[in-house]
Amino acid sequence: MAVEASVDCATMSRGFIRRVAPLVIVGAAVCALSAQQTPAPASRTPRSASPIDLTGNWVSVVTEEWLWRMTTPRKGDYTSIPLSDEGRRIADQWDPSTDGSCKAYGAGGLMRIPTRLRISWRGDDALSVETDAGQQTRLLRFDRAQAPGSRSLQGHSLAEWEPVGGQPVLRNGRAIGAAPPQGGTLKVVTTNMTEGWLRKNGVAYSENASLLEYWDRVAFPNGDVWLIVTSVVSDPRYLVNDYTTSMHFKREPDGSKWRPTPCRA
Amino acid sequence: MPRVGRTLSSTILALLATASLHAPSSAQGQGQAAPPTMVDLAGSWTMSNEEELLIRIDPGPELGNFTGFPINAAGRQKALSWNSTIQAVPEHQARPHPAQYSMRGPGPNFHMGEVIDPVSRRLIGYTITGLFENANRTIWLDGRPHPSEFAEHLWNGFSTGEWENGMLKVTTTHMKQAFLQRNGIPSSPYAVMTEYFIRHGNLLMMISQVDDPIYLDEPMVRTQTWRWNPNQREQPIGQVEIAEELPDLKPGDVPHYPLGTRHPEYADANGLPFEATLGGKETLYPEYVDKLKEMMRAGEKRGSR
Repeated sequence: MAVEASVDCATMSRGFIRRVAPLVIVGAAVCALSAQQTPAPASRTPRSASPIDLTGNWVSVVTEEWLWRMTTPRKGDYTSIPLSDEGRRIADQWDPSTDGSCKAYGAGGLMRIPTRLRISWRGDDALSVETDAGQQTRLLRFDRAQAPGSRSLQGHSLAEWEPVGGQPVLRNGRAIGAAPPQGGTLKVVTTNMTEGWLRKNGVAYSENASLLEYWDRVAFPNGDVWLIVTSVVSDPRYLVNDYTTSMHFKREPDGSKWRPTPCRA
Repeated sequence: MPRVGRTLSSTILALLATASLHAPSSAQGQGQAAPPTMVDLAGSWTMSNEEELLIRIDPGPELGNFTGFPINAAGRQKALSWNSTIQAVPEHQARPHPAQYSMRGPGPNFHMGEVIDPVSRRLIGYTITGLFENANRTIWLDGRPHPSEFAEHLWNGFSTGEWENGMLKVTTTHMKQAFLQRNGIPSSPYAVMTEYFIRHGNLLMMISQVDDPIYLDEPMVRTQTWRWNPNQREQPIGQVEIAEELPDLKPGDVPHYPLGTRHPEYADANGLPFEATLGGKETLYPEYVDKLKEMMRAGEKRGSR
């Protein structure tokens, strides 16, 4: 927006200079005032720049893949998951006595677990996503300078706000299109994960996996507000192609139904 | 006009002109209406079939599998009486899928086309083609109203769209009495569907909500994803020849299961309590996981006695 305003001002000023000098002075004054009112992008934090509010209490509403999400599927049931031969071999080795393992609560599978989410800002440049199922916390960091650290169940998540539809096409630094982007989505890329499970029956992703997510928020006419997480798990070891799913969470007024339940280490 | 007066008036005019040039950005900053962001949704989209693969394609959902649906008692009764033989009745053989379901399966891979006004060059609608039995949809973006409540209901209903922060919000009314799932879970003609199409690069995500006061306890919400696929080609429209498939069916007979019928096969095959397969809003939330475990433990105990 600031770039656009300065280009407008420059164009306008050139036109006025050719015609009436006093008008240029007034135009420049208004431009300067406008520039003062528009905060420079560098001064805005990810929190203050949020195009959508993802914070609050949310609950999974399991209307899809109910059998595979509400129960622990049978050993060897990897319906819908594009497993490689190696991925199938690993899934077929699952020991049912490990049901409830924290491996099912790693970043690659966590959002498909029936759970409540509590999302809040941690400072101005990280979103904390807590789950009551498995008592996990994901940290979605906007600060790209942070070192990933050692591998972990939740891995290292880098977040950025992105206009819906993707970044605008630029010409001479100016967006091409009818209107500047409004709204937005949260794009999150997670790497540095330890091996985890896509399903509670040990269908696994490897530590080579990466996770791409888009977090969106919509409101329906009946007043319900929903968070949608579109998830793409890529794993060159256990998957033959990307595993793409989308999960929806309904907003709740408060955390009164929050019921922490640990997973088994 | 004296020189001073001319200078003053030109200064005022300049001030007004400059202010008007800056009005849109200032108004946006103050939360006033800004021109909508449109995101190009046109193109060919291939379903991402990594969710409910066997339900969304073939063999389709099992009889009596109502899991994941917030159906009420009326919806459950109708679903339990549904008999797949009805699809062999001549009047039903060429039925397209309804808008309440057609974006869900089988597939679909579809093409989204632009409807451009030939004079203004404005985008006034989107078409969605490639849906089962040609139940293609048009989403009008030109602000036209929905028809009268007495207007004809269609398989694809009547859809209008508006841009909301780069997302296409679609409202569909005038849908036929039909189904939400291919195993008889019903949807009434009073249902209203709201969808958001949200594009993320080469991914398209759509969330839909069907609000049906007749058969649902709370709106049914589902999400679907597709990948942009410029190499996709639409399949020819399936030609359905109506044939006599039920020679023993008497005129006026409607295949159905009588009231009170149970379909425990799905529950038995998956080790689930029969009650859990009947759907209902309680079954959709995380707290039901524990209740389900208790029911399954109780069932195992009964089975071991």
